[in-house]
Amino acid sequence: MILGRVVGRLWATRQAAGLTGRKMLLIRPETAAGRETNRLVVAVDGLAAGPGDRVIVAHGSRVRDLTVGADVADKDIVIGIVDGHELKGR
Amino acid sequence: MILGRVIGHVWAARRDARLQRAKLLVVRPHAIYEPAFATRHLVATDDVDAGVGDDVIVCLGAPARASLGDNNMPVDAAVLGVVDRIEWRPEAMQAPGAGPGIKRALGGIEAALK
Repeated sequence: MILGRVVGRLWATRQAAGLTGRKMLLIRPETAAGRETNRLVVAVDGLAAGPGDRVIVAHGSRVRDLTVGADVADKDIVIGIVDGHELKGR
Repeated sequence: MILGRVIGHVWAARRDARLQRAKLLVVRPHAIYEPAFATRHLVATDDVDAGVGDDVIVCLGAPARASLGDNNMPVDAAVLGVVDRIEWRPEAMQAPGAGPGIKRALGGIEAALK
């Protein structure tokens, strides 16, 4: 899993059947310290995350099957909305 | 499995129901094994009670779920062990068969363990 920030939502008219009705979020993976990276991930929301939220994103087909269902065409899934984190080490 | 160091905790009230009792740690890998780690960290569940500052072994993917004793946990990384001691031979980097990838990975570990 990685930490990331929801930076927006995404809609598409023409899309795979496996994405119909699914809420897609644009997520910027962050470093542990909260600095944003130049990556961008489109993840399906398994909870009720929205723009501005810091989230935990898990990757993989098994994670997808267990959370939003095997019929969804995405392997990046939001599995947690971060309330806080504490960094002590380097 | 990869080697990393626990650098913090993360907590989330709203999370997948199966994760409610899981402890989530922020781990910094000692070497970059995949481009996916451009974030320089990963979040892993912890079953072995690791603490901040510990060097740990992290397993990724399906074996991580299996090790949690529950293949229905929606996670992709788990801390499987707390490292007590690492024996490290820098000359391994000079081995005849060591390509640039191996040298980079070992170099990352060496830098982290200094």
